Amino acid sequence: MTSTSMYILYLVFALGAAGLYFVLPRTGPSKSVIGAIFGVSGLLGLFVVFGMQGSGQQSGSIYFYIFAAAAVLAAARVISHPKPVYSAIYFVAVVIAVAAMLVLQEAEFLAVALIIIYAGAILVTYLFVIMLAQQPGSPIYDRRTREPFLAVLIGIMLMAVITGRASHPPTRAMDSPSLADGVPAQATTELLPSGNTMALGAIVTTRYVVALELAGILLLISMVGAIALSRKRIATDVIRPTPPALGRIGKEVEPF
Amino acid sequence: MPEAMGYVIVGAVLFALGLIGFLSRRNLIVIFLSTEIMFQGIVLNSVAFGRYHHQLEGQAFALFLIVIAAIEAGLALGLVMLLFRRKDTLDADAWSLMRG
Repeated sequence: MTSTSMYILYLVFALGAAGLYFVLPRTGPSKSVIGAIFGVSGLLGLFVVFGMQGSGQQSGSIYFYIFAAAAVLAAARVISHPKPVYSAIYFVAVVIAVAAMLVLQEAEFLAVALIIIYAGAILVTYLFVIMLAQQPGSPIYDRRTREPFLAVLIGIMLMAVITGRASHPPTRAMDSPSLADGVPAQATTELLPSGNTMALGAIVTTRYVVALELAGILLLISMVGAIALSRKRIATDVIRPTPPALGRIGKEVEPF
Repeated sequence: MPEAMGYVIVGAVLFALGLIGFLSRRNLIVIFLSTEIMFQGIVLNSVAFGRYHHQLEGQAFALFLIVIAAIEAGLALGLVMLLFRRKDTLDADAWSLMRG
């Protein structure tokens, strides 16, 4: 990547960050229209940079643009929507767009697993918690953010560092070429076999079998931890009327 | 620019968006949704790197990442429910006692 296009990329990130700053929930008049204009122009600029760099030669690039735009816009909406339920729904859109991008990279098993686990299991848990902990109306902590400018600044600095490192990787002793060279590690013609689910299963159950067992143990630990957390009796700061003892119901106290 | 660079930048954008949400939002549930967005960015990145080097390690790593994400979601939501029962609010600023 040339330094000129790097500067254009930084400019694009600044545009997107400015858009995000205006879109984040705030008290006072809403500036989300300005934010949307900034953000969408930043995204278009990002795609122009991608197009300038000639990444459009590979097959399926139009799908990459569509799903990348969907993922980024939905993620921006997740963190900027004032209602948590809508944030969760937009997160489903992020998951589906990322799964589609995994399919484009021939990771079919991971794509399906991502949809089943995230959109199926994790999202339902989140929605349950949102419903259980719902507060009436729109509370103040959903309508304004703390330090949006600093957060956006940290985000843009992180982006600059990541893309700077990815486009100017350090010289390595190994023979693998850098990501910016445009040369894949081995022969370009030989891609991974299209259905590599079987190969993934083989590598997980042979070379990484210890990690697989450890993942199972971790899942068990987290299950025990979640049960222990939710069964814990806590003293609430909120004063609630204490219910009468069980034996007294029906004798001195009316049952209902 | 190879195709992998596009996926890496999109993954980095997702990670940065998650970080911004994690730092700026005040609702505990939205904070944990932001960490899930960061996980999405990392999964995209590791699969892109694995495909670039024609190895399956990237996908295997992403599979374990999904396991960790599931564990994190379960424990984090248990904690959120615990905190909500204690103070009856989802505001992260209600727990700023240790800020000093």
